[in-house]
Amino acid sequence: MMNVMVCVKAVPSTTEVKMDPVTKTIVRDGRQSVINPFDASALEVAVRIKERLGATVGVMSMGIPDTQRILRDCLARGADFGVLLSDRPFAGADTLATSYALMRGIDKVRARWAEQGSGDLSLVVCGKMAVDGDTAQIGPELARQLGFACVTSVCEVLEATEGALRVLREVDGGHEEVRVSLPALITVTKDVCNPRMPSITGVRFGMQGPVDVWGAADVGADPGRIGLTGSPTQVVRSFTPERASGSTPIEGDAHEQARAIVDMIKEMA
Amino acid sequence: MVEIKPLSADYEEYLRDESRTVGSAQSISFPRTEQEVREVLSQMSDAGVPVTVQGGRTGLAAGAVPDGGHVLNLSKMTRCVGLSPARVDESGAIDPDGAFLLTVEPGVVLSQLRKDIEDKNVDVRGWDEASLAAWRALCDAREHFFPTDPTETSATIGGMAACNASGARSYGYGPMRSHVTALRVVLSDGQTLALRRGQAVARGTSLDLVTEQGGRVHVDLPTYEMPRTKNASGYFCAPDMDAVDLFIGSDSTLGVITQVELELVALPRVIWGVSCFFADESHAVEFTRSARAALRDAKAIEYFDADALDILRAQRRASTAFAALPELRDDARACVYVELQCEAEAEATEELWKLGDVLTSSGGSEDATWVARTAVDRETQRFFRHAVPESVNMLIDERRKSDPTITKLGSDMSVPDECLPAVMRMYRETLAEQGLQSAMWGHIGNNHLHVNVLPRDAGDYARGKELFNRWARSVTEMGGAVSAEHGVGKMKRDFLRTMYGERHIREMARVKAQLDPAHILGLGNLFPPDTLPLPVGSEAAGHATDDGTREA
Ligand SMILES: Cc1cc2nc3c(=O)[nH]c(=O)nc-3n(C[C@H](O)[C@H](O)[C@H](O)COP(=O)(O)OP(=O)(O)OC[C@H]3O[C@@H](n4cnc5c(N)ncnc54)[C@H](O)[C@@H]3O)c2cc1C
Repeated sequence: MMNVMVCVKAVPSTTEVKMDPVTKTIVRDGRQSVINPFDASALEVAVRIKERLGATVGVMSMGIPDTQRILRDCLARGADFGVLLSDRPFAGADTLATSYALMRGIDKVRARWAEQGSGDLSLVVCGKMAVDGDTAQIGPELARQLGFACVTSVCEVLEATEGALRVLREVDGGHEEVRVSLPALITVTKDVCNPRMPSITGVRFGMQGPVDVWGAADVGADPGRIGLTGSPTQVVRSFTPERASGSTPIEGDAHEQARAIVDMIKEMA
Repeated sequence: MVEIKPLSADYEEYLRDESRTVGSAQSISFPRTEQEVREVLSQMSDAGVPVTVQGGRTGLAAGAVPDGGHVLNLSKMTRCVGLSPARVDESGAIDPDGAFLLTVEPGVVLSQLRKDIEDKNVDVRGWDEASLAAWRALCDAREHFFPTDPTETSATIGGMAACNASGARSYGYGPMRSHVTALRVVLSDGQTLALRRGQAVARGTSLDLVTEQGGRVHVDLPTYEMPRTKNASGYFCAPDMDAVDLFIGSDSTLGVITQVELELVALPRVIWGVSCFFADESHAVEFTRSARAALRDAKAIEYFDADALDILRAQRRASTAFAALPELRDDARACVYVELQCEAEAEATEELWKLGDVLTSSGGSEDATWVARTAVDRETQRFFRHAVPESVNMLIDERRKSDPTITKLGSDMSVPDECLPAVMRMYRETLAEQGLQSAMWGHIGNNHLHVNVLPRDAGDYARGKELFNRWARSVTEMGGAVSAEHGVGKMKRDFLRTMYGERHIREMARVKAQLDPAHILGLGNLFPPDTLPLPVGSEAAGHATDDGTREA
């Protein structure tokens, strides 16, 4: 049996994020946060592997206590257990501190599996990126921390066995077919597959199934490597860019217009 | 004065609606105000020119397709006029959880109305102080919405009122009629009626109306009994009825609606959609009957049969536009969608468990369900439900390439609750007997299914049409309605005759003659053109036999 972990993030329910002009932070509009759409696809990939090969699927998130709601929804959609990393010292983390915390959490899960004699971690699935940050860094950083091979931007899983995956990944100008031995970490695009809806049976499990909440001490995290302290990246300023709009009408016949456009391009270059 | 334009090639699209029939007309106007509507109507009635009223032309019964004369298109009357609260307490404070009443012109398009309310972005310019105060209260209140949802969101409010539109949520919220509190109507001679519920009410079957110009109109209401089910067939009538109800669902034959006051109600805080899949249609029917009794918070109960699901399966494989459709299990041969609307998650959860119990005891399984609790999942389910009619239309369009004479035949009949199993049996047996291909979906919670015959050739088409006539007779015998939501228009007037019988049709025609003595409005709707005008007062008992109608 395989063991698969899926990392998910709670993101604002809208992509039209508004900034508070004074505090430079994101204005929460009171609507509930939702699962990052890429991560919903990541979960579906894991659940399909579980259905085909047999696997235990865990979901992990770092976030505020309310994120448990999203982990329970993942249980409703086929995950077996959830872990929420939630603690003050985790707050303010950049991608490096976040991937470190996730690695510590995953290590604790692995220790538990080892104790139970149920094998080791074979696969981690992450969304390619989170729609609120767009960095696409967590997957590769977490792979590095775990010492796993990493395949990013997977848009199709062609074949899965207990020992390896054959996948298609999106690259500039086309696709690349990759075979990767497990253990490995993959990040997936949204259209790798359509996330399923939970069944009533799933909803029941989502309400009752196991979700643990762990703090920094629970996962033995080095206080210097988590949260704001562990984050080399600092957000200096957030702002909504001024949209520079304007248009220049180009007149004349087709020939003259074409010439004018060529001149403008030359000028820009 | 609004311009009366000749109906040149530029306006050809105004000869059609979604029934896919094409009419003819000599002129067209696009009034922007009620005053302009009055002027056009006075002019046309003086000249005896028939007038066809149009909203969004999304109707499926050809009500807006002109049969000669003038086209009065109301799509430019799009203002929201004012707002008031439905409830205030003794101190005059507005109840923010209560309904709000929004007055709009008839050309307001449903999609725009919804968006404006959701974004709290209604154009309030020119509103009086009371309306503005109500508007501020609505902005501060929890989210409100307009519940009538006839699927096609380019419909106008006037058109929806004129054909008493319904849709999926009518199971819980009733049809358009339930959410209209007042109307303004222009009669064919240009006089106006301001009708507010409770203020112009019939005594028995006698209704006396006074126009704003001081004119008096006496109406003898029909005497038939309405079917005990969802209904958009012919004039609404009941003893002591409200005049507002006479104009709603009258298919533009009695007057032109120039203002509608709509009820906006508080949006329930928790909305969960549950699609339940069954291996057999009989289980789905059994489930529907039990769910109706067991679920307090179900606001929609919709059905999709095996043929509809197979068409979706094929569509999903064939077209990238439909690739996002959720995958169906192979053993799914019927689907019932239930929408639960509650105030709190705990209530919704309790209802969901109840639904699960009903499901299990009627041959379904909790595993074979989709539960949409998030906006993304709700959107997926909406896409799924809307993909059914869309896919069927594409299939028919494909077939029309080889035989342009065929079109889809879609039924719109409803029956009382206890007749659901019987009507389903009737559809299945007669379709099989005629060897016709079909797909069935719709509002099973209201025993109201759209049975769509998908003709392969002209022979199928003819057999399908004949079958619909048989169904109209059987549905009438069951005490049902030949049109439950699309209205009668020009397409279903033969069914109307089957449903009400000659005598009651004459009673309806008398109503029309009393309100539209010039006999110009909505010609061809409800009544075949050659039967009108029927002599007023000639409806007496000596008239032709009734077939299968009920009498009060
Ligand atoms: C894909 C599709 C799905 C649909 N699904 C449903 C459904 O589930 N439930 C349902 O109930 N309906 C359904 N409909 C039909 C829909 O309800 C009607 O199309 C709509 O209510 C008509 O609005 P309209 O503005 O387009 O009116 P039009 O088509 O322009 O006119 C309809 C009738 O109303 C009259 N009329 C229009 N405006 C006025 C006015 N101001 N005063 C007097 N008479 C007027 C017209 O003369 C005509 O008789 C569907 C239609 C489509 C195309």
